[in-house]
Amino acid sequence: MTTGSLKHDSAISHVTGRSVYVNDMEVSSVQLTGRVVYSSSAHAVIQSVDYAEALRLPGVAAILCAADIPGLNQMGPVIHDEPCLAENEVTFIGQAILLIAAEDEAVAIRAESLIRITYKELPAVLTLRQAIDRGDLISPERYISRGDADRALSAAPHVLSGELETGAQEHWYLETQSALAVPGEGQEMLVYASSQNPAETQAIVAEVLGIPKNQVDVEVKRMGGAFGGKETQANHVAAWAALLAHATHRPVKIHLFRDDDQKITGKRHRFLSGYSIGFDNEGRILAYKVELNSDAGSSTDLSRAILERAMFHAENAYFIPDIHITGRAFKTNLPSNTAFRGFGGPQGMAVIENALDRVARFLGKDAALIRKLNFYGIDENNETPYGKIVDQNRLQVIFERLWESSMYETRRTEADAFNRSNRYKKRGLAMTPVKFGISFTTAFLNQAGALVNIYKDGTVQVNHGGTEMGQGLYAKMQGVAAAELGISPDRIRVAATSTSKVPNTSATAASSGSDLNGMAVKNAIEVLKARLKKVALDEFQKRGFENLAACDIEFSDNKVMARMIPDAVIPFGQLVNAAYLAQVSLSATGFYKTPGIHFDRETGKGNPFYYYAFGMAVSEVETDVLTGEYRLIRTDILHDVGDSLNEEIDIGQIEGAFIQGVGWVTTEEIKWDTQGRLLTHSPDTYKIPTINELPEVFNVNLLHDFPNQGTIRKSKAVGEPPFMLAFSVWLAIKDSISATDNHATEPDFSLPATAEVVLMSIEKVKSKK
Amino acid sequence: MEAARKDIQFLLNDRLIVIDFQEHPGLKPTTTVLNFLRTLPGFKGVKEGCAEGDCGACTVVVAEPDHGKLVYRTLDSCLVFLPQIHGKQLITVEHLSQGDQLHPVQQAMVDHNGSQCGYCTPGVVMSLFGLFKNTVNPDRDTIHDALTGNLCRCTGYRPIAGAAVSSCHGDTADKFSEREAETLRTLGEINRDKHMIELRGSSQLYLKPLTLADALECRKSFPEAVLVSGSTDVALRQTKKHEHLPEIIDLGGIEELTSLAESESEFYIGSGVTLEKLRLFSEKRLPPFYKMLSVFGSLQIRNLATLGGNAASASPIGDTLPLLFAYRASVELISVSGTRRIGIGEFITGYRSTALSTHELIAGFILPKPSAGTLISCYKVSKRKNLDISTVSACFRLERKDGIIDDVILAYGGMAASTARAFKTESFLKGKPWSQPRVEEAMQVLAGEFTPLSDARANAAYRKAVACNLLLKFFTETENSEL
Repeated sequence: MTTGSLKHDSAISHVTGRSVYVNDMEVSSVQLTGRVVYSSSAHAVIQSVDYAEALRLPGVAAILCAADIPGLNQMGPVIHDEPCLAENEVTFIGQAILLIAAEDEAVAIRAESLIRITYKELPAVLTLRQAIDRGDLISPERYISRGDADRALSAAPHVLSGELETGAQEHWYLETQSALAVPGEGQEMLVYASSQNPAETQAIVAEVLGIPKNQVDVEVKRMGGAFGGKETQANHVAAWAALLAHATHRPVKIHLFRDDDQKITGKRHRFLSGYSIGFDNEGRILAYKVELNSDAGSSTDLSRAILERAMFHAENAYFIPDIHITGRAFKTNLPSNTAFRGFGGPQGMAVIENALDRVARFLGKDAALIRKLNFYGIDENNETPYGKIVDQNRLQVIFERLWESSMYETRRTEADAFNRSNRYKKRGLAMTPVKFGISFTTAFLNQAGALVNIYKDGTVQVNHGGTEMGQGLYAKMQGVAAAELGISPDRIRVAATSTSKVPNTSATAASSGSDLNGMAVKNAIEVLKARLKKVALDEFQKRGFENLAACDIEFSDNKVMARMIPDAVIPFGQLVNAAYLAQVSLSATGFYKTPGIHFDRETGKGNPFYYYAFGMAVSEVETDVLTGEYRLIRTDILHDVGDSLNEEIDIGQIEGAFIQGVGWVTTEEIKWDTQGRLLTHSPDTYKIPTINELPEVFNVNLLHDFPNQGTIRKSKAVGEPPFMLAFSVWLAIKDSISATDNHATEPDFSLPATAEVVLMSIEKVKSKK
Repeated sequence: MEAARKDIQFLLNDRLIVIDFQEHPGLKPTTTVLNFLRTLPGFKGVKEGCAEGDCGACTVVVAEPDHGKLVYRTLDSCLVFLPQIHGKQLITVEHLSQGDQLHPVQQAMVDHNGSQCGYCTPGVVMSLFGLFKNTVNPDRDTIHDALTGNLCRCTGYRPIAGAAVSSCHGDTADKFSEREAETLRTLGEINRDKHMIELRGSSQLYLKPLTLADALECRKSFPEAVLVSGSTDVALRQTKKHEHLPEIIDLGGIEELTSLAESESEFYIGSGVTLEKLRLFSEKRLPPFYKMLSVFGSLQIRNLATLGGNAASASPIGDTLPLLFAYRASVELISVSGTRRIGIGEFITGYRSTALSTHELIAGFILPKPSAGTLISCYKVSKRKNLDISTVSACFRLERKDGIIDDVILAYGGMAASTARAFKTESFLKGKPWSQPRVEEAMQVLAGEFTPLSDARANAAYRKAVACNLLLKFFTETENSEL
């Protein structure tokens, strides 16, 4: 098996049910179950809290309130505006007020039913429109701008203006938020977390407990899905478990019930965006002015960075000479919205993609061709609004290849013919591109560490700061280590991520896991290889091979050998043993920082990304004009991952991200009632894709022969970019609506395009006739 | 009811488990199979993803004797109370492999990269195992149906479907077939005892009669007891609402309630017939039932849920009810004092209420066979095609004489507090030709006939528009049909 086709390192333990998740762990017979008691009011002053009776219930070990927190009552990751437990005021339904530790779940639930909390209601802001009217920004307005969009708009032959709503999305990781905190000696606290960011979990646990960070160890073996939902908000459950463990001196595990998880945690930010787009008769975009307004929820969390990424992707794959992008994040009385695959990118892109679709309809041209006309150029028209050059541009080549392989033109003709002969069924087709910037836009986060240990039997343990949430990072790291060391992957184990092995890491996020950690692992291995080469030279010299230099030594096939000298070979394990006997260290740390990342928030200029990932999709749907329901007939994807680190894993990421995107743009609708209560708080009402949402024909291919320069083994990040390929489905649906009157009318449209949105839009098109 | 059995017995994989609830204070009769398994060392493969039967992470397979063979069914273990698996074999993911030798469905999942985060995987594997035991070379629809009840948020499902194709190709022999005779023998011994099961524990009385006569006695003696059949609805009262259920009568073990018969003039469907059994029965005989049940819940749900349960819950969005209305079904009610039959329209008396008296049970449903030329068609509109609750459901029946509408039933779910017929529209249509202009007029009448709700699933305006359009859809699908 080559290192590029390694299976997921947990594949066998997954299918046999032996993979251990936090909720499966029992570390002690005195382990307690934790439960969170949360606010039932969206905005209120807490008048009274009475848990005396609950505390008397046999089996209840502790009930904690804000006053019981020994350290800082804060768990805001960037800005300290998020209390760990509410003190006097609650600002959303789902905000933690009390923590219960009990012998088991049944007792905890019973105890909760005995607790009385009274509220004095305050006015609550529950819709984005309301928040925009109030102007309650979470941080100052931001701009990215080039040229003079206003002037270019007034000079443009055509201008279209409009508004687009894009909805929230629930992560719906299969494993709900979980943590197990195990108190040790003195101040020590070990937390088994399901967190994308163990270092931050460590920091927050230390802060709430009021102890130094070196007392807290956080270990993450794996997550049962995360998608951004465990980037910051996994800290919460870890902090709560740690507080209870600290108070009871017993291990405490919290595993949220599904409904509680959906109510308590933040989601993808919903946006309400306004835009004006100016263009010529050919469909060339001359000017674009967009205001991206996001619902941050009750606290800052990552809302600033998410808004920023939405702004960085406001023009997607298109060169627009005069452009003005405004970003605003508003405070509402809902759970604080958070990272979710794409991290604002999808919300920014949706607006321009919908606007381009309008331009095409307005001009009576095919939207795919309008897109192609506006792509960033190779040698010209290749500078983004924030000043970065789009280099290694793959848009043209992907477009050409996908246009052919998807038979776009033929199918467009066929769809038109179908639509002419069918009154109550309409087909729609769309081709959409993705250009996604890779790097944390907060420059200092672009760093990673690794620790590689070689043991005396020649086996290797790789530790790095990245976390495994299903994306196959461990398998990729195992592959990188095997390739770099020239040994077979079965001699390498990637160990659980731990803050005590690799400290001060960044979240596994921004699709950067393999890029950053791969380089850090490689760096550590280079250190080790340099040491081993010296040992090898000594060994070879003993055998009479003189005048060899370190650069002659190669690692491959589980052996270490001198180039061109067939007899100068030592099995890897033997060399390791020789190194040990020669008192050479077999453990090394590695480090990597992405070069050249900077961005000036004041001027809106800089180089926020190391490179871009590209991809395109063509999707076709058939819509039932009488019910608004649609089926996905076919999707073709061509996506750029550079030289893939692992093709099967990358294809899995692309397909999974695409289907998750399809969920966001179609059935995943989040609703709150007028009191701020989440109506869609379980899978009964919140509908993520099932297997039936797979396109009937699904062709997914990687763009081959376009290596990426300057990354680990010339690969590219893959986690987030394909999510946005789902816009092809969203706009194919719109195309099918528009087919009901032969594309004469611009349909009402929003995201998600539920059957309800579609039917109401069709009915409106009908009534305009 | 003397000499009742006081414990339950089942095979957990190959191990005989006997539970006397009075000796296990940690367990109560309504402890779910999921929660039971997770208390045992070495059985953490089964996962809770939602505790309401929507995600399938807790899928297990239950094997039970049927005509001298073992039949394997996938279930959501979060919806199953322990006594429901009495006399059956519970198979968990830990038991599929033999040492390092993976079961073919497990190996296929590895080969196809069918797992990413792995949390849904044990459930997926069990669904694949069920498919493996029940089908040979399943087609795309069968594969999708077997996996509809397993949500995966990582893979996008394609590799899972691929694993199904490559593992379910013919040879269904595995370690379970090798042990089949022995398993049947053990289960046979347990099931020979037809005494009622009477379980007490944690201030709960759980009665599981195994004969209809015992069931009717139980019903009379404990009129307040909650009746469960498949428990897919009742289980949620415990798992989601944390409600305590003090008295329960479990009707799931009564063979007399599971008859499924066809005579020249009618169909008889026992109240205990599972919806999956009914679906398979109806493919050729009752096509609208087949269509509706094919988008009803998931296979795991339909393997538990019964027609009696769906009708008795009298939910406004109970998907079988519009069909029972359109088929002019009668409900056969039985008690110690005898049986009576009432029309389905009389049976449903309002929002989640029925004409069932506290002494009665539903024995079954009688569906008179429609005369030749009668058109019956059903529709389900939901946010997501499968495994979703109806936004609007409908079943229409049309009989014509010489091109003129002689009789029509328009039964809707999701439009009122209970399943409702559009009587005004029906009478508008009667005596008129089945033509587009008349249908469009009828849609106007229909628009004024209901005042549906706005809720998490959809707004009232959408429900109204869909309800009207479904009539047009029915027309467009039937306008060219012969009388």
